[in-house]
Amino acid sequence: MKKLAARGNMNERIDTVLHKFRSRMSSYPPGMCALTLYRSLLQISMNQSCGKCVPCRDGLVQVEGMLDSILEGTAAPDTPDKIRDMCRMISGTADCAVGISAADLILDSLDEFADEYESHITRHCCVGDTAQTIPCITMCPAHVNVPGYIALIGAEDYAGAVKLIRDRNPFPTACALVCEHPCERKCRRLIIDDAVNIRGLKKYAVDCAPSDSVPNPTKNVSTGKRISIIGAGPSGLTAAYYLALMGHSVTVYEEREKPGGMLRYGIPEYRLPKALLENDIRAILSVGDIELKCNTRVGKDIAFDEIRERSDAVYLALGAQIGNRMPVDGADAENVIPAADFLQLVSSGKAPDLNGKKVALIGGGNVAMDAARTAVRLGAGSVHVFTRKRDDYTALEGEIVGAMQEGVRFRTLLSFLNIETDKETGAVCAVWLQPEIVAEYDKNGMMTTEHSSRYPYRFKCDYLILGVGQRCDTAAFAEAGVPTERGRVIAGTDCIVKDMDGVFSGGDCVTGSSTAINAIAAGQVAAYNIDEYLGYHHKVRCEVKVPDALPNPCIPTGRSELEETDPFERKSTFEPVEISMTYEEAMRESGRCLRCDHHGCGAQKGGRGDV
Amino acid sequence: MSENITVTINGRAVAAVPGATILDTARASGIDIPTLCYLEGVSDIGMCRLCVVEAEGFENLLPACRTRVKSGMVITTESERLTKYRREMLELILASHDRDCMSCPANGSCELQALCNRFGVKESSYRSPRSVNDKDRCIIDDDPYIRYDPGKCIHCQRCINVCHNIVGNGVLKSGHSGTYHTVETPFGKGWKNFGCENCGNCASVCPTGALTLKREDNFRSWEVTRVRTTCPHCATGCQLDLVVKNNRIVNVEAADGPSNHKRLCVKGRSGSIDFVHSPDRLTAPLIKDRATGEFREVSWEEAISYTARKFLELKNKYGGDSLAGFACSRSANEDIYMVQKMVRTCFGTNNTDNCARVCHSATVTGLAKTLGSGAMTNPIYDITHDVDCIMLIGSNPEEAHPVVGMQIRKAVKNGTRLIVVDPRDIGLSKSADIHLKLRPGTNVAFANGMMNVMINEDLIDHEYIRENTEGFDELKELVREYTPEKVGEICHIDPDKLREAARMYATAERAPIIYCLGVTEHSTGTEGVMCMSDMAALCGKIGRSGCGVNPLRGQNNVQGACDMGAQPTDYPGYQKVDDPEVRTKFEKAWGTALNPKPGLKATEVFPAAIGGNIKGLYICGEDPVVSDPDTHHIIKALESLEFFVVQDLFMTKTARYADVILPGISYAEKEGTFSNTERRVQRIRKAVTLEGGMRPDTDIITDLMNAMGYPQKKLTAAEIMDEIAEVTPSFHGISHERLDREGGLQWPCPDKTHPGTPIMHVGHPARGKALLYPAAYRPSQELPDEEYPFILMTGRILYHYNAAAMTGRAPGLVEISGEGFIEVNFRDAQKLGISNGERIKVSSRRGEITATARVGRKVSEGETWMPFHFEDSPVNVLTNAALDEYARIPEYKVCAVKLEKI
Repeated sequence: MKKLAARGNMNERIDTVLHKFRSRMSSYPPGMCALTLYRSLLQISMNQSCGKCVPCRDGLVQVEGMLDSILEGTAAPDTPDKIRDMCRMISGTADCAVGISAADLILDSLDEFADEYESHITRHCCVGDTAQTIPCITMCPAHVNVPGYIALIGAEDYAGAVKLIRDRNPFPTACALVCEHPCERKCRRLIIDDAVNIRGLKKYAVDCAPSDSVPNPTKNVSTGKRISIIGAGPSGLTAAYYLALMGHSVTVYEEREKPGGMLRYGIPEYRLPKALLENDIRAILSVGDIELKCNTRVGKDIAFDEIRERSDAVYLALGAQIGNRMPVDGADAENVIPAADFLQLVSSGKAPDLNGKKVALIGGGNVAMDAARTAVRLGAGSVHVFTRKRDDYTALEGEIVGAMQEGVRFRTLLSFLNIETDKETGAVCAVWLQPEIVAEYDKNGMMTTEHSSRYPYRFKCDYLILGVGQRCDTAAFAEAGVPTERGRVIAGTDCIVKDMDGVFSGGDCVTGSSTAINAIAAGQVAAYNIDEYLGYHHKVRCEVKVPDALPNPCIPTGRSELEETDPFERKSTFEPVEISMTYEEAMRESGRCLRCDHHGCGAQKGGRGDV
Repeated sequence: MSENITVTINGRAVAAVPGATILDTARASGIDIPTLCYLEGVSDIGMCRLCVVEAEGFENLLPACRTRVKSGMVITTESERLTKYRREMLELILASHDRDCMSCPANGSCELQALCNRFGVKESSYRSPRSVNDKDRCIIDDDPYIRYDPGKCIHCQRCINVCHNIVGNGVLKSGHSGTYHTVETPFGKGWKNFGCENCGNCASVCPTGALTLKREDNFRSWEVTRVRTTCPHCATGCQLDLVVKNNRIVNVEAADGPSNHKRLCVKGRSGSIDFVHSPDRLTAPLIKDRATGEFREVSWEEAISYTARKFLELKNKYGGDSLAGFACSRSANEDIYMVQKMVRTCFGTNNTDNCARVCHSATVTGLAKTLGSGAMTNPIYDITHDVDCIMLIGSNPEEAHPVVGMQIRKAVKNGTRLIVVDPRDIGLSKSADIHLKLRPGTNVAFANGMMNVMINEDLIDHEYIRENTEGFDELKELVREYTPEKVGEICHIDPDKLREAARMYATAERAPIIYCLGVTEHSTGTEGVMCMSDMAALCGKIGRSGCGVNPLRGQNNVQGACDMGAQPTDYPGYQKVDDPEVRTKFEKAWGTALNPKPGLKATEVFPAAIGGNIKGLYICGEDPVVSDPDTHHIIKALESLEFFVVQDLFMTKTARYADVILPGISYAEKEGTFSNTERRVQRIRKAVTLEGGMRPDTDIITDLMNAMGYPQKKLTAAEIMDEIAEVTPSFHGISHERLDREGGLQWPCPDKTHPGTPIMHVGHPARGKALLYPAAYRPSQELPDEEYPFILMTGRILYHYNAAAMTGRAPGLVEISGEGFIEVNFRDAQKLGISNGERIKVSSRRGEITATARVGRKVSEGETWMPFHFEDSPVNVLTNAALDEYARIPEYKVCAVKLEKI
């Protein structure tokens, strides 16, 4: 007799285990040995073997044995070669993907982690910097003491929380509203239920204690050193903040009318109201000894060499504001505009008239989403977003969902071909798109596409926004000898510009357009390294005590998400979309924090991840 | 069909059949690719990866056994990399393989050993991942025959695949212990309950010593010789090899015969050895002192001259027709031919018969009447492969013809529809689309109902009926009243199911009727058989591949026994004794005058003996005391005889009543032929010569003939076959020499170049036109009543054969099943207070016996079923010797009994 699968059968039961397994994987802590992870992966692959074929069922076991011997420190120098031989054999002869991919995985590891293999075989230990650290602190580029400020929020000391954030990040408000929150990605809480809503809590803290109302830490006495910073964006202002606190005298040159950089000119009002951004900027400038020179373009209003001459050190935080245009006919036509330029226009109060217009948008990043949602708010008749493939939607999931809710239409598998302009007006009248089909993955694991046999697709539009990345205007600096490459300044992770004594650079101008928190982290690194360059080891005082941790019972509890306003109402205004947590939510959410600074690796030397 | 394609293998252009694998293609071109897990037709799961090859355009290596060739493929089968990988595979396998080769039964025949030797792999450099898992490494050997040693298992899964795909039983299964694959075998504790049929096909395909027959411990491959022969049990005619060491059969191996294709059943594999070497074998002629009733050993001279003298005395005193001689449907064609020749030439009577009388005489008579030839129309392979629907009536092939059953199971698994018409829940009814669980003895009504539906719904083949049949109008008239509702009432079946069965069978393109003793062993058996033929003819399903009327004959050579003229009405090849032309031909061939009067049928001989008309009886190899209905009546008949001779291997129950017992030899000790149910004449060959005074049966008969004054030249079996071929038109083309060269031949085979006749009645029925015989339903002769309220059916079980003279001497078979039982419906049991496993008394008007009750749902209420193999429950004490009007077949399948608690 045939039967339907019984409820609660083994597959279902295993699914619940797999769910836990996935949680465990997504919370895999930073700073772990790659080989132990590969061993686990290999064991999972072995578990998936049906036991039919020799290479997979018996061969993988031997690979595991060899991997074990490496981790045990008993392996011979040629063990990786033996692993390679065996894996090639398995990959070449296994019957199905279970065996083939398992072997390929280990083959990859031999190349990707050759240093780790080498270290284990010769030194019987992991490579130097391998140590498990607190996930949120490690994952935050600025290494903000997340458990600490969550504990302060839990203790209702919101000003303390802002202070503690500011110890690493002088933009608590901006980050509370727009940070991509990498801190949440590996939150240990994922093991139990879901990551703590860290950004949401931060938002609650700055709601309760506006940043400009919280006093800065005590400033150092004046050092007499003069530092020039070019660019008053998040990176430049961060560097200015810490350098000023260290006692240096800082001058910030800003090309635009107002400070804030892309936080002001790139992020729409509905996400980051200018008034709130002003709080952070006001707080930063209130440190003192920071001279802000707006409307000053280096290379035009003042020469870079002059600035260098006047300063003991220079930090280039130029940002990446110039929107890319495709190298095609009509890219400069009327009503064709890069997304960043479009957002800057709107932020500067020079919004184009999109009322009832048909807007097309190429690209799926966060900037593209901002542009699309802004276009909606400007009354566009319709907004269509085109990308080549699903993976091109690199924007935060919430941004995409938000845009969809507001009526933005998404089309994929259409690649940009060319722009058609109206012969009479010279303005864009249509965009031509090539239908694509999905193809193999490339070396980096990204899906590629190839042209479909379908005919190109003509999409009539009145306005075309190109969300295909930004670059930095490096011309003036390149002339002065700053090393640059394809719209970027070349500098190391220590923000030092090679062969330019006393010149530092960081943020989007070095990395290409990225997130605010990365720019802030770079500003902080630059500040400390400039201080060190000048021969000091100044400390910035924190002046906050983190409350003691309580034992955490680890009871699965839901994650409080931030509610949003009604899509139909919000889409016609630039009013903030997100709604803050309530007090109860904030208390419950802060109570979910496992306090990894106290429990587990955070309690041991080198286990914090914030150095 | 599609054109051949070309591929390149090792730089050589090679022709390939589209759809063939790389392995097939390479092997066909003489290119060797090593394989371990692959077994043609059984297993191509690609476990061992030894057959991997390189192919241009493919990054990964391809397993040759399961990759189909594509035109233009460029393949390399040998390279440094391939050799290295193959060696590595062997090392990996060897890592988990116990290497106690010295004491392993597979030593010498182990495929892993051979490959390791070929690739120079002596040891494994790898540690075994399995050695830690002791649980699945203890030897499993509770089963009487088969043993599983997990330590030697390489998990190729051949055994699992053979059990599922070839045997169709599926009791060996893949299991898992954590990440390890395990083979779940049914040979451990509780082995009787796992549904294993002990056929041993799994052990026969094991490439190593993991799955072995326990008896394989007793020999090594280099110590034995193999003799190809034919299985001595049922009429499937499986080809097998007797494995002989020091003049002793030590094992039986399946051969690739046309009806078995490397399969064997438990009887063939494990019931074909012990009886040959049994200490019970008679080794010297015996003569009974009538005064004391004691047998004494005598010389062959005395035995022969005494026997001849006594028969001649009776012949002189009472005439030739007072004598009778039965041949044995278990013995060779050559033996049977000589028996009937002796009866006809020396006794001067046609009173010769064989035990087909009590099993399939209705078939011989019935099909001869309707189609012109009383034999299975199509080969087994033809009716079990690529057919749309099988209608199985009164046949339980999984037990009685297991290798046919395996092939039906496979067909059903592959999508063939199955209609089972049987009063019991047989194994196959579980997978039948329709099971008509009809009341025993109502086959004719059932068939008439089927034909009623076929005609009413116009499902019949008008053209075939017009061109190739006669009697349609009469048949139509008769079946008119057999409406499904009426038939449903008679047969206790659902009229809708009957309609559906009729539609299913009639509309199927290729649909055989397969039937057996459930149709024949009735007082209306011949009419039942003719109804089978009527149904097939109405639908035009005669003379075509995948169709036909297919009786599964019972014993190994019951077809041959009828073919050879061991019948009171027929000379060899169904040439009629009352045809003067035929008689003249035989008188000329045999050089003596022959009796023109058709003789008595076996079932008529016993009443005639009681009546005083039969005075002397010669029985070669039969045991009617056990196997014929109404035992007391048979014993009375034997005791009435003036002189009774039995030629046999054993002191059977029948032999105890004999005056002379002549010890013959078994199938393994003689040359000869058996004809299987498909009319296929196949060789049996001498494998062993045993010590003792027993003699070849043909030599004994020749001596008897000479002693009775008939000058019979002493002939070899091959020479006897030549004589058979000479006097039998349908055997003209058959000789031992040709059979040795070509394998079996299916008669009719009218000349030396004729390839034999796989399918009969092609073009038109042998009779010219098929007779559509209208048979009215008549109830069985003894119906249940108040005193004897139950119907008793009899039949066979898988593990034993007939009187169990052979299978009863295999201790393993007796261990598996050794006790008589009776199947009782659970409702009846409840009413009578009988519980499962309880010994009860079963009695009929003719006697009483005891049997162990098996209570369940297999039989319907008011019905019971018993096997007839077991000495402790001799069921024929109860059965009714009511005879069919035409074939004089007894009604084994229906008699009335009562059940009582003891």
